[in-house]
Amino acid sequence: MCPVLGHLAGKLESTDAEAEHRIAVLYQEFGGPLLRHVRKSTGNDLQWAEDVVQETIVRAWRHSARLQWEPSLIWAWLLTVARRIVIDGRRRKSVRPHEVEPPEVDMLAVPDGSERALSAMVVADALRSLSEEHREVIEQTYLRDRTINEAAEILGIPPGTVKSRLYYGIRALRVLLRDKGVAG
Amino acid sequence: MHEGVAAYVLGVLDEEELEEFERHLDTCARCQAELQDMAEIPSRLDELKHLPSAAEDDPPMSMSR
Repeated sequence: MCPVLGHLAGKLESTDAEAEHRIAVLYQEFGGPLLRHVRKSTGNDLQWAEDVVQETIVRAWRHSARLQWEPSLIWAWLLTVARRIVIDGRRRKSVRPHEVEPPEVDMLAVPDGSERALSAMVVADALRSLSEEHREVIEQTYLRDRTINEAAEILGIPPGTVKSRLYYGIRALRVLLRDKGVAG
Repeated sequence: MHEGVAAYVLGVLDEEELEEFERHLDTCARCQAELQDMAEIPSRLDELKHLPSAAEDDPPMSMSR
């Protein structure tokens, strides 16, 4: 039994065997893929990625009703929870967001570099195809590690407008990427 | 409330709004479906960080105002 599961099983001892079973299934089913996914956003920092996965699983355990969702929805939720944990961790670790640092040209020289660069160009093209309003809110929130409220202040528009534009912008981006075959 | 799903997926909601949206998500089939549709988008956007030209050469992609 992995340490996370053992820890959780201990907590659950006096509660619900069914819940314990759900956590075990959850970890077996999603633990590995989640760790691989999270490592990409922790800059391949394995220790940090493992901590993020553990915290994600603990949160899932706290919201055990959500574990009764269908697997693809659980997966989407776990990805989202894990991403937020990484973002919060990055904010705590550094005053300056990582992506503001100049990109390393060497990054493109790793074995899968050309494929990754190609995929990145597809995403960049899709982003350029969006309306200025949609592209702007995606840049000023996610790509610069800012919250809706922070971006709203910078852009001088109400937070509700940022949130709304972000919604329609992301929907448009998803359609573009799906057409180009790089997003499901 | 439904429009918050994109901000939720991207992790850009404040803590308070995040909790509020998750409570909404528990009972909203539409947002659950959109969460699934959008869940991989942030990873795609992360790829831009490996593309120097996207961040530097194109004014609309950077701090242009």
